[in-house]
Amino acid sequence: MSTLAPATSRTSAAGPTPKQRRRRANRPSPLLVAFVLVPFAVESIWVFWPALQGFYFSLTRWDGLEPPTFIGFGNYTELAGDAVFRGALVNTVIWLALFGGLSVLGGFGMALLLQRERRGVGFYRAALFTPVVFSLVVTALVWRVFYQPDGLADQLLRAVGLEQLIRPWLADPQTALYAVILPALWRQIGYVMVLYLAGLKAIDPALHEAARMDGANARQRLRHVTIPQLRGVNAVVLSVIVIDSLRSFDIVWALTHGGPYHSSELLSTYMYSAAFQSLRLGYGSAIAVVIFILALAVILGYLVRAFREDA
Amino acid sequence: MSDFDPSRRRFLGHLGLAGVGALGASSLLSACASSASGPVDKASGAISLQSNLSSPQAKAAMEKIIENFNKQGSGRATVNTIASETYRTQLPTYLTSANPPDLYTWYAGSVANNYASKNLLLDVSDVWQGLGDYPQSLRNISTDPTGKQIFVPMTNYWWGFFYRKSNFAKWGVQEPKTWAEFITLCQTLKSKGVAPIGIGLGDTPWVASAWFDYLNIRINGAPFHRELLAGKQRFDDPKVKAVFARWREVLPYFDPKGKAYPFQEATTALLANKTGMFLIGTFFADAAPKDALGDLDFFQFPIIDPAVPVAEEAPTDGFFASAKTANPAGTKALLTYLASVQAQETYIQSSSGIVLPAHPKAKAADSPLVVKGKAMLDNAKELTQFFNRDSSDALQPTADTALTKFIDKPDQIDAILREWQTSAEKVFKG
Amino acid sequence: MIRALRTGAFHTGMSLLALLWLGPILWVVAMSTRTFDDIAAHGVGSLPHSFTLDTYRQAWTDGGELRALINSLLVTVPAVALSLVLAALAAFALSRYRIPGRRVILLLMLAGNLLPPQILLIPVSKFSELTGLYDTLAALIAVQVGFGLGFYTFVLHGFMRDLPGELQEAATVDGAGPGQIFARVILPLTRPALAALGALSFTWIFNDLLWAITVLRTDDKMPVTPALLGLQGQFVSSWNVIAAGTVIAAVPTLLVFLRFQRHFVSGLALGAVK
Repeated sequence: MSTLAPATSRTSAAGPTPKQRRRRANRPSPLLVAFVLVPFAVESIWVFWPALQGFYFSLTRWDGLEPPTFIGFGNYTELAGDAVFRGALVNTVIWLALFGGLSVLGGFGMALLLQRERRGVGFYRAALFTPVVFSLVVTALVWRVFYQPDGLADQLLRAVGLEQLIRPWLADPQTALYAVILPALWRQIGYVMVLYLAGLKAIDPALHEAARMDGANARQRLRHVTIPQLRGVNAVVLSVIVIDSLRSFDIVWALTHGGPYHSSELLSTYMYSAAFQSLRLGYGSAIAVVIFILALAVILGYLVRAFREDA
Repeated sequence: MSDFDPSRRRFLGHLGLAGVGALGASSLLSACASSASGPVDKASGAISLQSNLSSPQAKAAMEKIIENFNKQGSGRATVNTIASETYRTQLPTYLTSANPPDLYTWYAGSVANNYASKNLLLDVSDVWQGLGDYPQSLRNISTDPTGKQIFVPMTNYWWGFFYRKSNFAKWGVQEPKTWAEFITLCQTLKSKGVAPIGIGLGDTPWVASAWFDYLNIRINGAPFHRELLAGKQRFDDPKVKAVFARWREVLPYFDPKGKAYPFQEATTALLANKTGMFLIGTFFADAAPKDALGDLDFFQFPIIDPAVPVAEEAPTDGFFASAKTANPAGTKALLTYLASVQAQETYIQSSSGIVLPAHPKAKAADSPLVVKGKAMLDNAKELTQFFNRDSSDALQPTADTALTKFIDKPDQIDAILREWQTSAEKVFKG
Repeated sequence: MIRALRTGAFHTGMSLLALLWLGPILWVVAMSTRTFDDIAAHGVGSLPHSFTLDTYRQAWTDGGELRALINSLLVTVPAVALSLVLAALAAFALSRYRIPGRRVILLLMLAGNLLPPQILLIPVSKFSELTGLYDTLAALIAVQVGFGLGFYTFVLHGFMRDLPGELQEAATVDGAGPGQIFARVILPLTRPALAALGALSFTWIFNDLLWAITVLRTDDKMPVTPALLGLQGQFVSSWNVIAAGTVIAAVPTLLVFLRFQRHFVSGLALGAVK
């Protein structure tokens, strides 16, 4: 009898027998250990170790030129009193709500519309997904043309007689943040749509059939069959959205640099400008730690539960 | 049946194997390294010049100079051009790296001293011994507080209000000399339906600092300006507030679209007759079509208080070298070449040409524009450079925030100046 | 009748939406064929009044995009391959065997992917110097592999865990070791997931900017995304040349997407369907 009892997958009806469970204490094959350790080591070298250093830097004052000076939690107390940091935190929450919320709604809606294979659906899906494959520099350029004074946005408004709305979209503190969310959504909705399309595809058609037999209409089927079945997908979408929101940097940096005067500043852009423009690397690292903790706090609870269920 | 032997020894043995596996991966990586790009032998190899001159004409000019240097036979060099925005954020990384490039394009003055005080720059006093022709003023800004030279200048340029001669003729207006005349000019232009003052702050918010610098040196004088930028005066001082009171008088004449586009677009707007004049450094010419340059002229920033000695912004561009260069002799040979008449004339002929060579015997382009610019700088009692060059690259973002906010919300000036002081203190503190 | 109407409404709505999505891209493509004088005279928001392909020549040769594309491929192809191999190995061991602490390991690896990359920039650049890899394409490959591994492992883990166990049990009974089970049983079944991840990671690594400027400093080693930024610095107001450069930089990922579209769309959400 092998000690290499495979962790039986959830899809196999029986599940692990109690006998197999008791074998947990056994050690795995060394080759398997290597399978795990090598990738883990690579990630340790390029991610964990630098991250630990980053945590350490957050406790220092450092201009990147001279060796860092240890100052304890000085950077964190300064953060607490920093108005720009508070503004960035608020903007990040707005970003999370708007960017996150709208890309879920938009992505889910598109997935529902495009889930059935019919003529043209492939093209529509491809169209919505295309922006996902572009880099930030490409996206920023496309949208910069759109927002230019007398650019596409202004021309469109003029064409429909709304020229009184025209303003310097990216340079007006009232609109800058929202003008940046739009391109971010443009890239994200296609991505979320694909996640949901896969989720919808995985739902057993028999469930819908059964509901239909019971006389449920389309809306009831959506509410009582589709949405509950998508729990797994929702989890992944949530993680993706939170990570992407907190990490959203490229597009904001490319379009506004967090300006004008911090009005579109997110934690990620403030971190970058504190570290690399003001050369306050310790302070920047402290902001990065805050971002990390926020991401972890939102996601960890969910992930742990997901793992407990599955593994 | 199982191939698994639970004995601890064997287990450890396999762990060792895992270690070999990891090593294998890393040697695979280094194999990639040597095939993709062989490491350069620094000690005997070419001098590497890291350049931020990324506009096409300036880039070509720099490459030409290095080509000439290599032909000369006194050493070998390569130039490596990086997009200027990337260069700005990466410069500290370049300088502090274990194996840094030898030579860098950058700015003279306090911004270079800042790096020198951290022992990152090569002492190039030897090179300066051969630069007897250079004026004392350039020697001064190339010298760090300990008295050694750490910088070799190549060119400098000036800032001014640029305009199209044909437009001023068409509108029947003259160059203003005083602040009052300037305001009258703005009013006239506005009545002609033109946005009088062009500006480009989207993406290039630092352009606003030219306004702050000039108003401050016209009202409070260059010495106060330098002290302010060195952290010895406060941004919430009433004298600084006075600067903004003047600025406010002309705010209504700024092109409202200028907030949204960079200075390059503002240049296009000036050339397309959409704005009347534009306070900018001569580098803007790199973004202008060559045939448009003939119609351009400029005037000096108007005098506000005749009692204040006239100062002008004259940023000096040039080179400093890494203290860690593996080949100091070769680096200095290249610096000597870059400081020569021949190299600087090559640069001026191959680039847009609206710059002044640092070497007094090198010939500037003989366009009327250049003659006028040179005369303005020669007549100035004092020279400053530019906000970041007279302070540090780290202080610049605090100015960008304060100044763009002022342009948007001039009523909040007191709060803006308080915030500016707070964020500046953080930068000075580090 | 109602059905035809609904179909019509669906296609009208979706076509408009697709146009909204593709419009900005088409605009940039159109802009890349305009002359500088046209843009200067009519602005970027105007319809084309001219046609030229010289912009592409400028971006390709003067802007150095050819070199940059080669660099991008030299980095992206090995980085994708290495990431997938390593992630597949780890996911295999973690999902099919009771490795002690596997949940913690998987969570840790994924957590590494949650880190804001900015916090890693300075230490990574110092570390690549220490190992002598700084300013080599190998450093970029290594950091791309390291940073991506957590996510790829997580996704492949989700996929492999759901593969039926019978084949593996049969192979184990036949005396196959984990290596053989991986190569002969699990890997073939994982191919769709690998294809999807491969296509996805290709676009991510190809599009990267931050890591490239962190570990590279020589312009002729820069991949296409930082090179495009350089091109913008070079041709600031020449929107047409920048647009041409943008099109060139976007074409490879677009080709990968179109070629592997099926994998993208059906397989992207492997992690999602658990």
